[in-house]
Amino acid sequence: MDLPALQLAHTAALVAAARLRLPLRSHTWKGQAGEFTGSGTGSSLDFQDHRAYSPGDDPRHINWQAYARTGTYTMKLFREEVRPVVDLILDASESMFFEERKAARTAELFYFITESCAVAGASLTIHAVRGDGSAQLDPAALRTHRWLETARALPLTDPAIAPDLAKVPLRSNAIRVFLSDLLFAGDPEPVFRHLGQRHGSIVILSPWLEAEARPDWSGNYEFIDPERHSRHPHRIEPATLRQYLEAYTNHFALWKNAARRHQAALARIPAEEELVTALFREAVPARALESA
Amino acid sequence: MPVFANPLGLVALLGIPAVLAIHFLQRKARELPVSTLFLLDHTRREAASGRRFERLIPSIPLWMQLLAVLLLAWLLAEPRYRKSGSIQRVAIVMDSSASMSVFKNEALARLMKQLPELQGAATEIQLTVLESAPNRPRLHAGSSIEELEAALDKWRPRDGPIDPTQALRLARSLVSRDGTVLYLTDTPAGPLPFEARLLAVGKPMANAGFTGVSFATEEGALVWRALVKNHSAKAIERTWSVLTKTGSTQPRPLYLEPGALVTLQAAFPKDAENVRLVLSPDRFPLDDVLPLVAPKPKPLVLFAATSPAFAGLAEKLLRALDAAESSKDAASADLSIASYNPLDPALPSGNTIVFVEDETRTGAWLKGGIVAEAHPLMDGLNWQSLLARETIQLDRQPTDTVLLWQDKRPLIFLRESNGIRQLHFNFDPTLSNAEKQPAFIVLLHRFAESIRAEKIAGVCENLETGQPLTVTAAPGIPLSVTAADASGTPFPKSTILDPQSAISDPGFLTIRQGDKTLLTAAVHFADPREADFSACASSDPEEMGSTAAFERHTRPDPLWRVWMLVLLAALMVSWKFTSRSLQTA
Repeated sequence: MDLPALQLAHTAALVAAARLRLPLRSHTWKGQAGEFTGSGTGSSLDFQDHRAYSPGDDPRHINWQAYARTGTYTMKLFREEVRPVVDLILDASESMFFEERKAARTAELFYFITESCAVAGASLTIHAVRGDGSAQLDPAALRTHRWLETARALPLTDPAIAPDLAKVPLRSNAIRVFLSDLLFAGDPEPVFRHLGQRHGSIVILSPWLEAEARPDWSGNYEFIDPERHSRHPHRIEPATLRQYLEAYTNHFALWKNAARRHQAALARIPAEEELVTALFREAVPARALESA
Repeated sequence: MPVFANPLGLVALLGIPAVLAIHFLQRKARELPVSTLFLLDHTRREAASGRRFERLIPSIPLWMQLLAVLLLAWLLAEPRYRKSGSIQRVAIVMDSSASMSVFKNEALARLMKQLPELQGAATEIQLTVLESAPNRPRLHAGSSIEELEAALDKWRPRDGPIDPTQALRLARSLVSRDGTVLYLTDTPAGPLPFEARLLAVGKPMANAGFTGVSFATEEGALVWRALVKNHSAKAIERTWSVLTKTGSTQPRPLYLEPGALVTLQAAFPKDAENVRLVLSPDRFPLDDVLPLVAPKPKPLVLFAATSPAFAGLAEKLLRALDAAESSKDAASADLSIASYNPLDPALPSGNTIVFVEDETRTGAWLKGGIVAEAHPLMDGLNWQSLLARETIQLDRQPTDTVLLWQDKRPLIFLRESNGIRQLHFNFDPTLSNAEKQPAFIVLLHRFAESIRAEKIAGVCENLETGQPLTVTAAPGIPLSVTAADASGTPFPKSTILDPQSAISDPGFLTIRQGDKTLLTAAVHFADPREADFSACASSDPEEMGSTAAFERHTRPDPLWRVWMLVLLAALMVSWKFTSRSLQTA
């Protein structure tokens, strides 16, 4: 993708971020002060509870009206406001970018998450994973749109293997947004286990192409593996196509079942639709996003 | 094994690569980047991948179309099966002219190559081989190719130019209308009659050779003069030499301009045997050698001691005739000249020319039309200017043959009895202008030569190959013929030598009767028409309409209707599968 395309994706993401956001409010946060309600007591305006005064409590929160009525120091407890923590893991494999629309949708989702985090004041850490290689992206690269070059430049031994998330350092109590088309073989269970460790919430946004889900293949093809750039001659008969569709459906059914087990939000975002429409139609029902 | 009435129909087999190409092009793999290859690997691998050709195998339309192409080619080629026992009769007329000897090997090879085509679809070929020269025995008759080759291997063409019409007529009659007549020659000339096909095997080539020889006596020595001709359109350099049994002269160069005719001459070597002139060899060897013998005609002994009135005439005749000798003995003479005197009417008993001698010399001129009878002695002679006087007349017998009439008077008649011939002139030549008449002189010569021809005596002659011979021999005693080639090597005893004609190859010929040698001859080839190869050409037999013969020898494929139905079924199946796949696409 070139710079104008990235800028265009950024613009679409900004529009989407104005209407949608990550499900940060449905999460109980701990950590640094911010705009989101934490799990502990804090100094926000939201009243939480009363309790008896204990030495060391902030005297500003003594409920003097209650003291006047009862003569006992009673403390007003307010909800804590903290900064949410988001770990964005970008699957930078070739399959995410080999097709123009899919690449654009990936970039849009990437920008959307980063902008959504920026709006919410969330602490965002961006990781790019490509095969067995991974790297943390500098948020400053978002402004210069150099993040894609950095992600695609990751060294890797075998481009075709599934993204190795084990090397990605995940912060505790964070929302883990995994941006991937999930088009790699293997059991999704380790992925979910890894993403869900340390009280993490999992959101998976998976861009997909209509051409992948419902291809119109018929006859002989030289399929080119975008990862390895290898050629694979195939003859697609109707029966073969049916088997492919079945395998495709089963593959994502496996991911959805795993997501359900791990209470993860998995939303598959079609690349052909307009971003906001697609997100509203796919991500919001899946609770991967929520209206702003 | 089927034969195809229309082999061009097999061109339809080109449809096979066409169909394959179309299918390959249709099935040419489209390149497509796909990120879900690992899902494709979950499908049946054997159905989804493979080499391009293997991927064609399950294509039913392809197989149906290939089957359709095969059936279409089969039907278009019109396959037919040979009928058992079918015979194709072929008559081959071989040009027996001598020039064919140069191209004989090529002719045989071309003929053998042509035989399968001549046989056509018949299971057997019946061959009859004739020579173009009429009245020759067949060279071969039968179906064996080996025997044909053996017969033609022995064949030696030595004739002159021969119109093949008669042989072609005979050949056509032998094979009937259904058969094939092939004329094999080296000199094609015009269309052939009787639907004969032409196989020409010649080609123009340069040739020079002897075309004749003559003899003369100069200063008492016998001198030969041989003509050498360059038959080609370019100059030729050759050498020539004289060979005898004991040696030869040094080869001398001979330069011949295009079409030039050069005379070589030298004294005939005395007492030499196997004398021959030899040119350096070329491809046509027949005219490169000229065997020679010193010519020696039969002597004619003339008894002319007759009336003084005819002494002058007798002396002129004696001088004019070749090898004529005068004799005083009428009994031993071959020919006598006698005058008829009514006072002494006795005439010689042998061959005689009899004149009337009228001493009165007062007769009136004979009147009336002069009519010559048809007789070899009178052939072509004009007697209309003959003036003769009335004289006494000879006693004519009923058996005499009148040669010339004036009105009702026989002027000349011929008496033949017991091998004796007498020519009677029933007028006095001295009282007429007969001596000034060419017809009179020619008649006397013809008669004398006929007497010489009938004489049994040895003769030495230089003959041409195949020249008819007239050998006068004593009755009841067989003739023995011996011959040798130009170098003196005798011909094999198995060779049939005909005393009626000279040998067909240059050489020496001797005919004996008992101990008496009747003919000693040198035979040379001197036919300039055959030595000229400028008109030779080569051509293959043109295709004749042999559909009838082909159908006569074969029967059609009995299953052709079935193949037609299978073809239609294959096309329909192909169409159905193709349309289905299109709908799927």
